[in-house]
Amino acid sequence: MKTLRILIYRNIKLFFKDKGMFFTSLITPLILLVLYSTFLGNVFEESFRAAIPKGIAIDDKILSGIVGGQLLSSLLAVSCVTVAFCSNMLMVQDKVTGAAKDISMTPVKGSSLALGYYIASFCSTFIISIIAMTAGLIYISAIGWYISFADVMYILLDVFLLVMFGTALSSVINYFLSTQGQISAVGSIVSSVYGFICGAYMPISSSGEGVQKLVLFLPGTYATSLLRNHCMSGAFDEFEKSGIPSEIVKGMRDSVDCNLYFFDEKVSIYAMYLVLSLSVAVLISAYVIINILAIRKKKK
Amino acid sequence: MMNDIIVIENLHKSFGEIKAVNDLSIKVKEGELFAFLGVNGAGKSTTISILCGQMTKDSGKVYVNGVDAESANGDYKSDIGVVFQNSVLDKSLSVLDNLKSRAALYGIYEKEFDKKLKELSSLLDFEDLLKRTVGKLSGGQKRRIDIARALLHDPKILILDEPTTGLDPQTRKLLWNAVQELQKKRKMTVFLTTHYMEEAAEADYVVIIDSGKIAAEGSPLELKNTYTGDYITVYGTGEEEIKLLGIPYEAIRDAYRINVANTAKATELIIKYPQIFRDYEITKGKMDDIFLSVTGKKLTGGEI
Repeated sequence: MKTLRILIYRNIKLFFKDKGMFFTSLITPLILLVLYSTFLGNVFEESFRAAIPKGIAIDDKILSGIVGGQLLSSLLAVSCVTVAFCSNMLMVQDKVTGAAKDISMTPVKGSSLALGYYIASFCSTFIISIIAMTAGLIYISAIGWYISFADVMYILLDVFLLVMFGTALSSVINYFLSTQGQISAVGSIVSSVYGFICGAYMPISSSGEGVQKLVLFLPGTYATSLLRNHCMSGAFDEFEKSGIPSEIVKGMRDSVDCNLYFFDEKVSIYAMYLVLSLSVAVLISAYVIINILAIRKKKK
Repeated sequence: MMNDIIVIENLHKSFGEIKAVNDLSIKVKEGELFAFLGVNGAGKSTTISILCGQMTKDSGKVYVNGVDAESANGDYKSDIGVVFQNSVLDKSLSVLDNLKSRAALYGIYEKEFDKKLKELSSLLDFEDLLKRTVGKLSGGQKRRIDIARALLHDPKILILDEPTTGLDPQTRKLLWNAVQELQKKRKMTVFLTTHYMEEAAEADYVVIIDSGKIAAEGSPLELKNTYTGDYITVYGTGEEEIKLLGIPYEAIRDAYRINVANTAKATELIIKYPQIFRDYEITKGKMDDIFLSVTGKKLTGGEI
């Protein structure tokens, strides 16, 4: 146990001390911040404003709260996964530098090593995501706070599950990588593509029908939707209280992926949690099986 | 009588058509300095990887400290410490953090670790480097930490895979002295691969490997006697006199060097021509000569 603790500490410290790895992990969230601050924030605010029927006065704070919630949910949806991928690259980096070879010559068990990478990557990603979440919530409290305490707790749960998912997914993929070139390639692909396919850069509802159907098979989509619901629901409720017809509010919720429809069937919040939890369980099982097979292969 | 701490019997390993290790059998005695020589691609690293459980073998047996390395489930790993050709330390971490995390892998913590650290930092002279980041250390400093890392768990066998390549002579001497001190004090077995032939000359036993097979083996003296002749360096004489001997010679700065088959032949020659051999010295052939004679190749990277 002590060995595992020291291994985890080593892995976390290496991630935060390796400036290249650390800053690469922040590229996608930074791109998102730039997109929102330059034009996306205005585009979304204008589209919400345009959807409000004439004659209904809406406090600008509610609109700001919605856009802020959208920014925070997008930010968390990408960072929980992309940071996990980058921090988990340590397992590949160790193969490149020879540290993995060195460690495997010690009596420490392969399972401890695998667990060490997983927990360390989870911790590093969770720390960064919690910092991002706190900063985002402070920002929202300044522009328009409509998030209940329960929703804050749910956001925390969403972040936890999404970090578990990102770490498990990256553990399975990174396990098969062994060169610096592969690290760069996978890092770049994940950083650039994940923001689009999870609906963080642009809502899934604005994509073509084929893409919409495709991404509904990806668990990350449901994580984004959960975050959208918990970051934006309070503000949408406030819209309804201000007299905007519920049909219009529903349309707005649909447009930002708070509501997801799997072949015309609305996916409930519980179903989203189930999909995400099952994905985590499946990926962790896959990671465990890969490691067991690798240990058996080595023994042969 | 010393025990065999490493026994390799009829080891085979191929990569496709290439036989990296071909029926290799060696025995390393406990506490000895064992030199394993060969050009790049001769099969040294493959043998070491199999020995350390990093690579599977095609056939043969490998025993480490009496334990079958294949069926031991890694139990013998605590008996081995390895210094790789390239440093495997975490460059972003401090020396202390590196050693602490490596010691933990062997179950060495806190006071026990502090004791080891004190001992090794004094032996390898790195007390003042503990808080420095490894990435900012010089090649020699890193090497000292690499060796300390390999010695943290008091291994019975220290495998040094070209440990001094690229180091300055002063650092090489420091490292070499530390290794020799450890070997003597702790009766540690040192398994060395090197390009520096003078390091191999210090070994108790030398195996020269070529194309995966043993090309020659023995103590440095045995190898010198078998594969190289003696040199007689004659001073204070003229070339005309040397020519009278009727054997090949080489003119050097202020003397002539004659190559003879062995010491007996040298004695015979000296007795026969006392007027020529007034001031002379007899030396054995060098390890490079042995390597060249056995393999027809020269080890690159080392000094003669």
